[in-house]
Amino acid sequence: MDCDWPLLGPLRWLHYVNKQVKVRTGKGDEHSGWLLSVDPVSASAVLLTFSETAASVRVVMGHAVKEVEVLREADEVTAERLRAALLPPSPPSLDP
Amino acid sequence: SISSSAASESDSEQLQKEQHARSVLREGFLRCLLSMTNKKVQFQMYENVKVEATFGASDIDVLNFQVSDLHTPIGVQKEALIRCQDVISFTFDI
Repeated sequence: MDCDWPLLGPLRWLHYVNKQVKVRTGKGDEHSGWLLSVDPVSASAVLLTFSETAASVRVVMGHAVKEVEVLREADEVTAERLRAALLPPSPPSLDP
Repeated sequence: SISSSAASESDSEQLQKEQHARSVLREGFLRCLLSMTNKKVQFQMYENVKVEATFGASDIDVLNFQVSDLHTPIGVQKEALIRCQDVISFTFDI
């Protein structure tokens, strides 16, 4: 989708969350990954890519985003993995 | 400006939805910054410049990143601020 990405606004950014997307930058680079979030202040897109053993995050600054294309939606397993990706490790139990 | 009560009601509903979306998205982004602290981050910048540094913090409006051990083509800068405007993207492992 060709769009003025920084101007889309939170409701339309939210549509892209948890989807596999391809982000094209003004410099012609392409980055694919699962969209974890979009910073509503800077419009920066947070992309997660993962394999069996490793995961990495790429943030594309909002001002550099030219185009965002949705590739596919997350299945149950992937959606769960995306939810857990940036959560802190669970705090120690306070039960006696 | 004069607006009917019905219009303002649907406006405030819309605003509330938008604010909720905004907060969900911002939380996700802040968690990303949080998980990036003290990690080695590769920055891709304009003019095909790629630098690596240890991420420290960002200001709230995402204008500057504070980093340590910035590896530049002319040496290592112990502490530095990176102007976010100069950055295209950055990546790190989690």
